[in-house]
Amino acid sequence: MTFIIRRLLQSLVVIIGVTLITFLALQMSGDPTYLYVSERATEEEIIQTRAALGFDRPLHEQYLTFIGKLVQGDFGNSLSYKRPALGAVLEALPATIELTLFAMMLAIVVAIPLGVAAALNRGTPVDGSIMTVAMAGQSIPSFWLGIMMIMFLGLQMRFLPISGHVPFIMPLVQGDVVRAFSQLPQALYYLIMPGFAVAFYSISRNARLVRSSMLEVLGQDYVRTARAKGISETAVVIRHALRNAWLPVVTMIGLEFGFLLGGVVVVEMVFSWPGIGRLIFNAINQRDIPVVQAAVVILALVFITLNLIVDLIYAKIDPRVKL
Amino acid sequence: MTRLRSLLLAGVAVVAAPIAAQAQPAADTIVVGISADINTFDPANISSRDNSNIAKHIFGTLYEITPEGEIVPDLAESYVEAEDGMSYTYTLREGLMCEDGEALTAEDAAFSFNRAADKANNFTGNTPGFVYSSIQFQSAEAVSDREVKINLGRKNPVSFGLIAEVFIHCKDSYEGKSLEDAAAKPIGSGPYKLASWQPGSQVVLERVKEDEAKAASIIWRVIPEASTRSAELIAGNVDIITNVAPDQLDAVNNSGSAEVKAVQGTRRIYVGFNQKAAFADATPGGKAIQDTAVRVALQYAVDVPTICKQLLNFECVRADGLVNPPNDNPNLEPYPYDPEMAEKLLDEAGYPRGADGTRFSIKMQAPRGRYLNDANVALAIGQYLTDVGVNTEVELLEWASVYVPLIRSHDAGPMFLLGTGGGTWSPLYDMTDLSTPTAGTNYTEWSNPEWFDGWAEISAATTDEERRVVIDRMLEVFYNDPPWLMLYFQPDFYGVSKRVDFQPRRDEKVYLFETNIVSGG
Repeated sequence: MTFIIRRLLQSLVVIIGVTLITFLALQMSGDPTYLYVSERATEEEIIQTRAALGFDRPLHEQYLTFIGKLVQGDFGNSLSYKRPALGAVLEALPATIELTLFAMMLAIVVAIPLGVAAALNRGTPVDGSIMTVAMAGQSIPSFWLGIMMIMFLGLQMRFLPISGHVPFIMPLVQGDVVRAFSQLPQALYYLIMPGFAVAFYSISRNARLVRSSMLEVLGQDYVRTARAKGISETAVVIRHALRNAWLPVVTMIGLEFGFLLGGVVVVEMVFSWPGIGRLIFNAINQRDIPVVQAAVVILALVFITLNLIVDLIYAKIDPRVKL
Repeated sequence: MTRLRSLLLAGVAVVAAPIAAQAQPAADTIVVGISADINTFDPANISSRDNSNIAKHIFGTLYEITPEGEIVPDLAESYVEAEDGMSYTYTLREGLMCEDGEALTAEDAAFSFNRAADKANNFTGNTPGFVYSSIQFQSAEAVSDREVKINLGRKNPVSFGLIAEVFIHCKDSYEGKSLEDAAAKPIGSGPYKLASWQPGSQVVLERVKEDEAKAASIIWRVIPEASTRSAELIAGNVDIITNVAPDQLDAVNNSGSAEVKAVQGTRRIYVGFNQKAAFADATPGGKAIQDTAVRVALQYAVDVPTICKQLLNFECVRADGLVNPPNDNPNLEPYPYDPEMAEKLLDEAGYPRGADGTRFSIKMQAPRGRYLNDANVALAIGQYLTDVGVNTEVELLEWASVYVPLIRSHDAGPMFLLGTGGGTWSPLYDMTDLSTPTAGTNYTEWSNPEWFDGWAEISAATTDEERRVVIDRMLEVFYNDPPWLMLYFQPDFYGVSKRVDFQPRRDEKVYLFETNIVSGG
C-alpha cells in the first residue's frame, strides 16, 4: 500500500512536469493567434482574437490558470473544435486503445513463439530466417509498411479494408453491448493492417528478446536437471525455461504499451484511424493548446497506471521482488 | 494441410463478406474522401474549406456563387443595394423552411447574421473573422416578413459577394442552443441534414429537399493521407477525392475506374519582394529589389510553365497579375521565360555580374508542405535566379509556428513564396489584398501611389464599365512595377470515379447538389 501511495505521489510530479514541458514547448513554437484569424484580418482583429483566446496574458498566468482548472478536471475549450478539450480527447481515446491493445496482443502472441522457435533452433536456417525478419521489422518505418500493406493487401488483393475504423470500445462504454459485439468481427477486420503496422517493430524486438532470454535460461543447471529427470522437451521448454525467460519480457510489455501509443500517430494518419494520435497531430498543427495538453496528460496517466500495474504483476510472478 | 487451408479461407470469407459489401458506396449515395477533419457545424465558427463545403449542403445562403463566378439567388430571390452602398436589402423566397419544420423568415435571416457577430460567443469562423471585417458588418434587421436588411460600416464593392458566404438558419432552433450543441447538432436550411457525425472519421448527410439535390445521401470520409485517398478511390470505395498528390495522377488515371480532373484553382502562388526598409538596409539583395527594374528583370528569369509541368504535373498559364482569369486585364501578357532579357535588364539596372559571376545575393524564404510541392517549387525558383547571377539562398520553414508569424508581421524575405486565396466572382476581391499600403495582406509593403489612388476612383465609379477601366489601369501598374514575382494559380486535382459525373470548380468548393450517379459502380 505504501508503495502504491509513493508511486501515486511520484506520478503527480510527473504529470506536473509533463504539463509544464508541453506548455512551454507549445508556447515556444510561436503565437497561435494567427492561425485563428483570417489572412485579411486587421491588427485590431488580431489583438481582439488574441485576447479572446487568452494568449495576451503573461505566460506564468496562463500556466497557473491552466493548472488551477486542471485540478478541477477542466482542460478548457478546444480552440478549433470549440468544445471541451477533454471531451475531444476522450472521444478519440477508445479508437487508440483498440489499436494499441491489438498491436500489443500481436507483439506478444506472435513474438513469443517466434523467439522460442529461434532459440530452440539456434544456428539453423529457422533461427536465421526469424532473426532476418526481426531485423527488417526493426528497420522498416511503420508509415512505409502501412502504405505497402494498403497497396498490396488492400488495393491489389482486396483482402483487407484500406482504411477506416469500426468502433468496439466506444459502444461498450456507451452501454451498447449488443452493438459492440455484433460489430466485433468488422472491428477486428479493420484492425489487422494498422495493428500490424504499429506492432511490427515490437514483434521483432520482442522476438529477439525472447530468443536471447530463452538461450540464457536453456543453459541453466535447473533446465539440465529437468532434462536429466526425463521430463519431455515440451514440458522443459514451457514449464521450466519459458516461465523463467518470461520476466524480462513482462518488463518490456509494460513499457510496450507506452511505446506503441507513441507509434500510433503516423499509422493513424495513414489508415484514417480516428484516434488520439491523429487528434494530437492536428492539434499541434493548429496550435490547439488545450487539446494537446489534455491528450498529453491523459496519455501520461495511462502510461503511469500501466507501469504501476506491471510493477505489481512483476512482484506477483517473481517472489524475489519486494515492493 | 489442404483441408486446414480451405477452412481458414472459408473463415476469412465469412468475416470478409459483409465488410466488402459495405465498403462500396450504395446506389443512391455519393462518398467523398476529404483530407481535413471536420471541427464544427456551428455556422459562425466554420473556417476550413472542407468544413465549409459540407456545411453548404446543410445551410442555405442568401445568394451563392456559381462555378463561373456569377452570384445568383439561393434563399433570397432578389436584393436592392442602397444608393449610398451602406446596406443591402434581400427579399427571401416564399415558403422557406428549416430542417425542423420551422418557417424561415427575414427575422431568422437577421438572427443568423447577428448571432455570428455577437462578441459574447467568441466566434472565430470565416463569417465573423473575414466576411464581417471585410464588409464592416454593423447589424441585420427584418424589414418585413420576407425582407432582411444588412447594414454595413462602409461602401465596399465586394460586399455583395461576401454576404453570399454567410450561412442562414432558423432563430428558434438556435436561440436556446448551447454552443456545444450548435457545434454538433446543426439544424439547417439547405437541401441536406446531418444524419451522423463520427469526428475524425466521417459525416453522413441525408437529403431533405428532393427537388434541390440529386443524391439521397452523401458520406464525407476523412482520409488525411493522400495515397490512402487514392487507393480508396481506385478500389471503388469512394467516388470523389480532393487533393490528389501530383505523383499519384498516373496511378488514378490508369486504374480504369477513376480519373483525375484537374482545374486551375484560384489560389495565387507568387514570390513577394519585401520592400520593408529593414531589408533594404540589411542586405544588398534587399536593396536591389527596391528597384522596379530589378523586379521586372527577375520576372523573365523564371520558367513558370516548366515548373508547373515538371513539379505540379499540370500545364498552367503563367499569371499576369494578382487577379484570377477571366477577370484579369486582357491586354496583359504573362512575362515570358527569357533569361537573356533578365540578364540584360539586370545589367542595365546597375547590377552586372561580378568576378565570381554573382550580381547580388538574396535570401528567399518558403514554407514546406503548405502548398502543392512548395519546397521544390521554391528550390527551382532559387536555381533559376541563381542562373542569371542572383545568388539565391532558399530557406524552407515550418508553416504554422514560424512562417505565418513572419508573413503576418511583414518580416518574411527579402523574397518569400506565398499563396493567397482568390475568387472568380470579382477582380476586386483579388485586388483587396492591396487595399491600402498598410493593409495586413500587403505583405511586401508595396506602396505605389498610382495603384492605391485607384481605390478612390473605384469607389467613385458609377457604372461597371467605369470601374473596369480603373481596374485595368491598376493592373497595368501592378504589372509594370511588380511587387510580386508572378507565378501561377495553384492547380487542384480531384479524383473522380466513373460512377459519378462530378465537375470540379476552380474555387475549391465541392458542391454536389447537381452531381449525378451515372452507374451502379
